[in-house]
Amino acid sequence: MSVTFLAPLFLAGLAAIAIPIMIHLTHRERRDAIPFPSLMFLRRVPYRTVRRQRIRHWLLFLLRAAAVILAVVAFARPLLDRASLGPVILGSAREVVILIDRSYSMGYDDRWSRALNAARRTIDGLGRDDRATVVFFADLAEAVNQPSADQAALHALIDRAQLGAGRTRYAPAVQLARDILEVSDLPRREAVLITDFQKIGWDGQQDLRLPEGTVLTRIDLSDAEPTNIAVTDILLDRTEPSGRGRATVSARVVNAGATPVSDLSVALEIDGQDVQTRTIELSPEASVMVRFAPVAVPERVMRGRVRVASDPLPQDDAFHFTLAPLRAVPLLIVRHPSARAREALYLRRALGIGRDPPFEVEVKRVDQLQPADLDDRAIVILNDAPYPTGASGQRLLRFVRDGGGLLVVLGQRSGAGTWPAAATDLFIARPGVMIDRLGGRGGTVSILDYSHPIFEPFSAPRSGDFSAARFFRYRRYESPPSASILARFDDGAVALAEARAGMGRVMVWTTDLANRWNDLPVQPVFLPFVHEVARYLADYREAPAWYTVGQALDLTDNPAARPWGPPSSLPRTDRSPELVVETPSGTRFVKALGESSSHVELRELGFYTIRPLAEDAEAARVVAVNPDVTESDLTRLDPEELALAVEPRESGSDRATALAAALTPAEKERRQGLWWYLLMAVVLILLAEAAVAGRLSGTTR
Amino acid sequence: MNGSRFLDPKVLARISNLDLLARTVVDGFINGLHHSPYLGLSIDFAEHRAYMPGDDIRRVDWRVFGRTDRLYVKQFEADTNANFSVLFDLSRSMQYGSGAVTKLDYGRYLAACLTYFSRRQRDRVGIVTFDDDVVDLVPTSAKHLDIVLHTIDRIEAGGRGEIERPLLKVAESLHRRSILVLISDLYEEPDTIMRAVDRLRHKGNDLIVFHILDPAEIEFPFEDAAPFEDLESGERIPVVPETLRDEYRALMNQHLTTLAERMAKSQIDYCFFDTSKPIDYALFEYLSRRRRLSRVH
Repeated sequence: MSVTFLAPLFLAGLAAIAIPIMIHLTHRERRDAIPFPSLMFLRRVPYRTVRRQRIRHWLLFLLRAAAVILAVVAFARPLLDRASLGPVILGSAREVVILIDRSYSMGYDDRWSRALNAARRTIDGLGRDDRATVVFFADLAEAVNQPSADQAALHALIDRAQLGAGRTRYAPAVQLARDILEVSDLPRREAVLITDFQKIGWDGQQDLRLPEGTVLTRIDLSDAEPTNIAVTDILLDRTEPSGRGRATVSARVVNAGATPVSDLSVALEIDGQDVQTRTIELSPEASVMVRFAPVAVPERVMRGRVRVASDPLPQDDAFHFTLAPLRAVPLLIVRHPSARAREALYLRRALGIGRDPPFEVEVKRVDQLQPADLDDRAIVILNDAPYPTGASGQRLLRFVRDGGGLLVVLGQRSGAGTWPAAATDLFIARPGVMIDRLGGRGGTVSILDYSHPIFEPFSAPRSGDFSAARFFRYRRYESPPSASILARFDDGAVALAEARAGMGRVMVWTTDLANRWNDLPVQPVFLPFVHEVARYLADYREAPAWYTVGQALDLTDNPAARPWGPPSSLPRTDRSPELVVETPSGTRFVKALGESSSHVELRELGFYTIRPLAEDAEAARVVAVNPDVTESDLTRLDPEELALAVEPRESGSDRATALAAALTPAEKERRQGLWWYLLMAVVLILLAEAAVAGRLSGTTR
Repeated sequence: MNGSRFLDPKVLARISNLDLLARTVVDGFINGLHHSPYLGLSIDFAEHRAYMPGDDIRRVDWRVFGRTDRLYVKQFEADTNANFSVLFDLSRSMQYGSGAVTKLDYGRYLAACLTYFSRRQRDRVGIVTFDDDVVDLVPTSAKHLDIVLHTIDRIEAGGRGEIERPLLKVAESLHRRSILVLISDLYEEPDTIMRAVDRLRHKGNDLIVFHILDPAEIEFPFEDAAPFEDLESGERIPVVPETLRDEYRALMNQHLTTLAERMAKSQIDYCFFDTSKPIDYALFEYLSRRRRLSRVH
């Protein structure tokens, strides 16, 4: 043990020791005379320097010197280097973090109850000065209490614990444990990891280590040869749209165990009733795709479930999904009065064979267009047609601003004169002159914005070659800066431009789609290109048939609730600011939508129903939630491997020394607070000095 | 209230009325000595003796004459109507006091008490105050108690002290044997002091010397170097007390010892007090001396 000082410069103050020395060496000489009755016995004595340098009142001198020395030492902030003393001085109080795995794999057999019992034993083993923090973790880690020594409160936390539905990830748990232990001021640190040590929970990539001196206690709840049958995925194959549709359900069943399974019953359940059952054989560590016969899809959302016979891990024995009727995207093609029907042939045929989604195509002459024709449409295509006049034109403007999609296909008949000034709000700019490239081999589309959703599917190699198409004529289009240019011809002219108008989207394609000005309609990319343009303009997004637990569901974004089509029974979040959310376990709560609270974290397996507060259950949105299938893999991680990765490099036996060494001198000094004791001693010494001085003073007068 | 509290010089210092002070001290003192063998010392009947011509016929015991038809006179112990006179040193050195009571005050209390006490014995009382000469002289008289007390009350320190000349004058002025009480700090050479007091003693007076000093004069407890000023001469000398404390104490002890021895040889009662001692010490000393002087033939 050695003594060091945080502010050694203050030790220069030891020079002040000269003050009491001077005081005690120097006899005070009074200036005023002392009256005395008679000097007959006094003789004249000269001042003798040597004799005056004798310290008087040794006790007083020592007290004053001690006070000066202790005060100076106190200001120098002394500290004892306690590292060499080890845990004897540091004490034995522990900071314990109890990490309890509550991923759904802990539901295997009796793992969860064993985990809780292990946690209770850990709490019972806490000393009087120990503190513990309970952390439950799956894919995320959550500390459910502040560090506490209250064992009753800790037991209550364990008693209230519930198994989760997430997957195992050790990194967040280790990170949280590190955060808690790092700020602890207790001399001993310990992390107790209670888990089934799943291999999928640790990829070994994280550079995480517990703070130095931390002891990692592992409580392994894994089983020797676990068996697990899981339904990990389904495929929904829709065959026909518009209410008469059918869907074929295929489910992937996985045997994650080491033993073969025979006569495994796989059942398809629709709206709570078994509709089909298959019996399969499963080899060890193999999967089988089970295909069920097509089922009719009515005009409502159905709740489907594929399940296998229960096994020790029931959470992944069923796979939930929703089956909604396919809705065709209503699309209106507006043609020029003089155009022949075959001019829209390629476009109609391309849209007509769409299945994901299907498109419902109708063709109208622009001069016969009525405002009502735009009702319930998702997209309007002005196929080389002028802008509608009169009420239809106004309706088209409103249609776009309300969220509809408009594709303007320029051609022979769509010159600048065909666009009224009122339409420039939508079209950004009027079409320009026609560019004729018949003299050569024609132009090509050379610049594409592959980051745009339309062209993103073509971004991969061999996924679509636009350069094969030849463009012999197209119209000049001077797009304003507010427009986005998605494609350009090789001469730099705009091929495809996009602009926003209100809530809707407007796109301008500067050449025709009739296989006259170009040969794009006979190129392989034509079909997917048209489909992508139509999907984009319709803002079509397929509602997921299921979500994975842990995902956050945006309540304000319901892909099934579209602004087009017949009045939907699906909830429109813009109509009601409050939604009633019912979880699979039956818990209901009201979610007030706002900028900061529009999401619900999906924590349970099964079906969530979400409906506006004022509407009945028929209008509910149903969301299926399944577990993360990776958690079904019960392959065990060697605990030693995890321990080597996260344990501190310094051994636990030296943790006291490590802790002491890890402390900065300022922290050591703050913990020891020796200055306080020294100043108290100074005060006591000064009191004693005052008493002694007072007594001596009284005797010398 | 315990009478001894009044005998503490610090307590007495709070009593301004000297007559009251003397009464308080003496009456309390005598009450406290109720069972003392000295009680009634001076007025107790001693014996009868045959009447001789010239005896005061008032002392004839007429009841004995009635029974025996012979004249006898009563003889009382200490029924002497002796002269009692205080010789009070007023020199400026008497003004010194390191505590609440100066030597002058202490001497005043003592003089007042002794005078009052003596008057209770029916002595004639008087006082002589002096510094380097006689300042006040109150002849002894049975009626002079108030005058003496008044004189004591207005005593103030005078100038330089000199014991020989004023005491010579006193000796010359005394025509009748007296009980003389000298109260002084005796800052003179022993030879000078003895010359002065021997003259008084040789004239047949009973002399009791109360040598009064302050405790600081005996212990010399000073610490700080300082000039010391002689109260009488005003002379100053630089003094480092610790360097001569031992020598001072030795000289003082030698002085006291010499005085005690020399006065013992001269049959002079010598009593040394410091001002921290209660007054009854002095009264007791006085009574013990007076007892020996009490039998008057």
